[in-house]
Amino acid sequence: MELHILEHSLKVASIAKEGIQICTHGLIKLAFLPSKTRCKFFSLTETPEDYTIIVDEDGFKELPESEYLSVADATWLALNVVSGGGNAASSQPIGVTKIAKSVIAPLADHNISVFMLSTYQTDFILVRERDLPMVMHTLSSEFTLLRVVNGETVAANSTGVTNGFVKPKLVPRPVIHPLSSPSNMFCVTSLDPDTLPSVATLLMDVMFYSGGAKETGGQSEDSGHIRFFSFSLIEGYISLVMDEQTTRRFPNNVLFTSASGELWKMVRIGGQPLGFDECGIVAQISEPLATADIPAYYISTFKFDHALVPEENIQSVIGALRTNESTGQ
Amino acid sequence: MSSGYKPDILWSPHHADRYVICDTELSLYRIGPAGSPETKAGTLPLSEETAATLLAINSDTPYMKCVAWYPKHEPECLLAVGQANGRVVLTSLGQSHNSKCKELVGKEFVPKHARQCNTLAWNPVDSNWLAAGLDKHRADFSVLIWDISSKFSPESVPAEKARLSGDVDSGLLVTKPLYELGQNDACLSLCWLPRDHQKLLLAGMHRNLAIFDLRNTSQKTFVNTKAIQGVTVDPHFPDRVASFFEGQVAIWDLRKFEKPVFTLTEQPKPLTKVAWCPTRMGLLATLTRDSNIIRLYDMQHTPMPFGDEVEPTIIERSVQPCSESIISSFAWHPSAQNRMVVVSPNRVMNDFTVFERISLAWSSTTSLMWACGRHLYECTEDGGQGAAAADKDIATKMRERAQSHYGHDTVQVWRNHVLAGGDDPQLRSLWYTLHFMKQYTENLEQKQQSNKQSLIYSGIKNIVKSSSGTTETRRCWSGSDRQTDVPRYHSEERSLALQLCGWISRGPDIDVEPFLKSLEQEGEWERAAAVALFNLDIRRAIQILNKGASAEKGDLNLNVVAMALSGYTDEKNSLWREMCSSLRLQLKKAHLCIMFAFLTSEPGAFDAVLYESRVAVRDRVAFACMFLNDTQLPRYIDKLTYEMKEAGNLEGILLTGLTKDGVDLMESYVDRTGDVQTASFCMLKGSPGEVLKDPRVQCWIENYRNLLDAWRFWHKRAEFDIHRSKLDPSSKPLPQVFVSCNFCGKSISYSCSAIPHQGRGFSQYGVSGSPTKSKVTSCPGCRKPLPRCALCLMNMGTPVSSCPGTGKADEKADLTRDKKLAQFNNWFTWCHNCRHGGHAGHMLSWFRDHSECPVSACTCKCMQLDTTGNLVPSDSA
Repeated sequence: MELHILEHSLKVASIAKEGIQICTHGLIKLAFLPSKTRCKFFSLTETPEDYTIIVDEDGFKELPESEYLSVADATWLALNVVSGGGNAASSQPIGVTKIAKSVIAPLADHNISVFMLSTYQTDFILVRERDLPMVMHTLSSEFTLLRVVNGETVAANSTGVTNGFVKPKLVPRPVIHPLSSPSNMFCVTSLDPDTLPSVATLLMDVMFYSGGAKETGGQSEDSGHIRFFSFSLIEGYISLVMDEQTTRRFPNNVLFTSASGELWKMVRIGGQPLGFDECGIVAQISEPLATADIPAYYISTFKFDHALVPEENIQSVIGALRTNESTGQ
Repeated sequence: MSSGYKPDILWSPHHADRYVICDTELSLYRIGPAGSPETKAGTLPLSEETAATLLAINSDTPYMKCVAWYPKHEPECLLAVGQANGRVVLTSLGQSHNSKCKELVGKEFVPKHARQCNTLAWNPVDSNWLAAGLDKHRADFSVLIWDISSKFSPESVPAEKARLSGDVDSGLLVTKPLYELGQNDACLSLCWLPRDHQKLLLAGMHRNLAIFDLRNTSQKTFVNTKAIQGVTVDPHFPDRVASFFEGQVAIWDLRKFEKPVFTLTEQPKPLTKVAWCPTRMGLLATLTRDSNIIRLYDMQHTPMPFGDEVEPTIIERSVQPCSESIISSFAWHPSAQNRMVVVSPNRVMNDFTVFERISLAWSSTTSLMWACGRHLYECTEDGGQGAAAADKDIATKMRERAQSHYGHDTVQVWRNHVLAGGDDPQLRSLWYTLHFMKQYTENLEQKQQSNKQSLIYSGIKNIVKSSSGTTETRRCWSGSDRQTDVPRYHSEERSLALQLCGWISRGPDIDVEPFLKSLEQEGEWERAAAVALFNLDIRRAIQILNKGASAEKGDLNLNVVAMALSGYTDEKNSLWREMCSSLRLQLKKAHLCIMFAFLTSEPGAFDAVLYESRVAVRDRVAFACMFLNDTQLPRYIDKLTYEMKEAGNLEGILLTGLTKDGVDLMESYVDRTGDVQTASFCMLKGSPGEVLKDPRVQCWIENYRNLLDAWRFWHKRAEFDIHRSKLDPSSKPLPQVFVSCNFCGKSISYSCSAIPHQGRGFSQYGVSGSPTKSKVTSCPGCRKPLPRCALCLMNMGTPVSSCPGTGKADEKADLTRDKKLAQFNNWFTWCHNCRHGGHAGHMLSWFRDHSECPVSACTCKCMQLDTTGNLVPSDSA
């Protein structure tokens, strides 16, 4: 297995809902006019609380300074697991589950905080730049580490520093944050970048005007519905996460759908904003899923984390996590 | 972003007149001759000769990303279309739907997770197999191989799950691929390998090219590279693959799949298409974005390198099929050589044939061969007998001269100009000059005056420079008492110069009478008269002119000239003088003209004579030696020498001699004529000379030898080498062949020969003089016997018994030649392959009738292995 350390230096920011209008110019440019910026990594996730932006340094310049914009103080690097062109067995569980044991758990054991972003195409594990030596040390045994420099993939040498690193404590990881599961079902999809202009206005409407338009007919969040939408444009690939109702607003054949038409339900982690320093949260969720062989997507935002699991598995997932929760307490 | 679809073009694999343009829809065109009666109003002109007719349009398949044409004859016009959502749809164009096609058209192959389909490829053998390369998905494969004949698989799509697909007609959906390859990566391009149809070459996002074998998909060969777009196999060379990345094309050899064999020069703009020419070996065409030129790389001269170090040569060209517009895409015609159709972004099409590079070669025998495409043309010189000798190509002339032994007459050197054809005044002058030089040298040798000898070959220019002790005389006109007012100069050097000019033969006396006689004999009346006049003998001159007038075919005008001459007066202001000096210019004959110029000019001012270019240099120089004083003469000679050198006029050799100046002169002569033959022979005469060491001279000699070899004039070349080694002993070649003993390894010629470096070692073995005298059948070093001849079974060294088949009468006829032949007959020869051999004579006669080795049970085709063995010298004496 290869672990690619991508060259993007990423910022994680949050825009308050009421301040979104001052940022829309920059966001539209980043999302729909990729040729006008040098940004290669852009992700926008709307949650009921805020908009979370993950963007590289070139893209970050497009955003104005504002009181509504809060930025996590670290620079993040994206890691990407590649099976090295190898052709592994075909019945692999997909998504975060696949890398839970090999990447996420070891990082959690070494107290490295991670920030997850799953897309239609792949999973990105974001780590703080300052944690990189530790990350490389932790993962060098399992992976061939490759670093992308100016578009070229070169072997990254582990610094080999072992002194002073805390020995991992292999303790069971209970789920410590409260979980909730909204009632709406989600779709993880993508679209052909060539067709992006034709749906750009629709996407803008979904991204920025969701608060005003009550298209779902008076359903409120009290009834378990959650407002959640994610758009990312990373190295030319578009990935979208939206609920099922929103997909119906798109013309036929624009969105990439799976042949099986699979739908996903969300598990939302955290009652209080989670912050960036606590580690092991992703591991707490993903490890039980990996054990149960349930595929999942995992999207971290500024305040909370979100896992997506197949709709038919939601009960067993909740069950499994609750069990963990109770044993932890 | 507005016009995301740039038209691409696809030729029908089996119908050379059909192609499809695909952008947002598929349009089938037929290409035909322009202006033919069937041309309808709707045709589009493609070139001056061809036009395209639109046959059908298919707009059933939106979001097309790639298209591939079914490779088999039937169904004829079946296309696979890869869409933006990863589905592959089979569709057809302009077909009267036959049953097989109908069954397939409309069939869709749906990947588990939708993403863009980047590339499609039909398996060339098992044409039911269609490989599709898709973008990456985190949990899906990027290469799906579909079986187009597979039926709807019931287990794959539960009805209630199909809610997002929006397809009602799910009976035509296929969701279960035959094979899945390449997880967690995107496939940007792929192709089947023609050597083994179960093998597939994939190019993935993560910078690798991988070869999968469908029989064992877990094993693969792969290589990391950036060049992962547009992989395409050379149709003429199944191991050669081109792939590209941005502006760079890499060429791979699948047998050595570690790194590209080479990469082509990088283009500043990204490439959009790379295609091998199907009709010509090793021709690759590339197109970059927003460009109006197509670059061609000719790799047919590229041998596959044996080592890594070999950097193959590629000929790069670019063509501009339509001058104004940029090219969106192009496609080679499947059968018409070097033909392609290009399409511009606004669908303007252009039929275009890449003009083949013309390669051209001169043969050594004045014919010219040029090749263009599959045609080979030979142009030969018009060999009509009427062609004047002067118009003949220098190569023809040299060939003829070589055959007539030109240059080989070392006794009567002047005769060489006759051997050369006798019609070139410059050669005539050159060989006479060399003749006089040789003659004078011989005279000197007889008199033991070797101090002057070195001067002879250094030319008149150097001779007059060394002149000293010039005396001045004023002689009377012979036959009268009148004193001339023309001073005449004498010195030893001047008379030497006159000898070299051929005016006087030898000795200190200046007696031109023999020269005049010879001129009279040759009918050169005017020249003779002029020479007589310059020797102040008007009477003799008049007499010569009269003789000339009365001779057969004589010019009666000479009498008139004689009359005019007889009226000569030395009075300065006479009417005669006045008229002669103006009317002489109207005389057509240069010699007559200078005669009057001499008589009418002021003493010491003979420019009208000296610069009369129609008169031979030797006559003008002789004149100058007689009438110019010690200051005028060297100046005149220098000036003339310079002129001759500039013009490359061989008459100037008289002045320069065989010195460095002479080589300079010869250089401009060779530059002008290419006659290395004359140059070689001439310079060889300058023996003990530094001139022979001049690299230019060596170059002429080598070129002349090569030329003789190229004409297969091997005997002539050998004769030339002998001639050369006589005149230039340093050019004797070192021995090139040695025979060493199998047992002790010592050269058998060394140990028995008193002279260690004797090239003709074989003369010891059999016949040096008498055949019985020195017989060596064993190694002189170790006394072991020499190998046996495969034919006569005698040990080598035994002389060949008399050649069977040679008539006795012939033997006597050409004794010397037979003897030489007999010597060679005894020589060793052997096959480098089977190592059998024997006496050269025996072998020669054996292989006259056989192609196989004479040793029984040896099946070596020795004679066929010898590429030069079947060549026949074209000058067989």
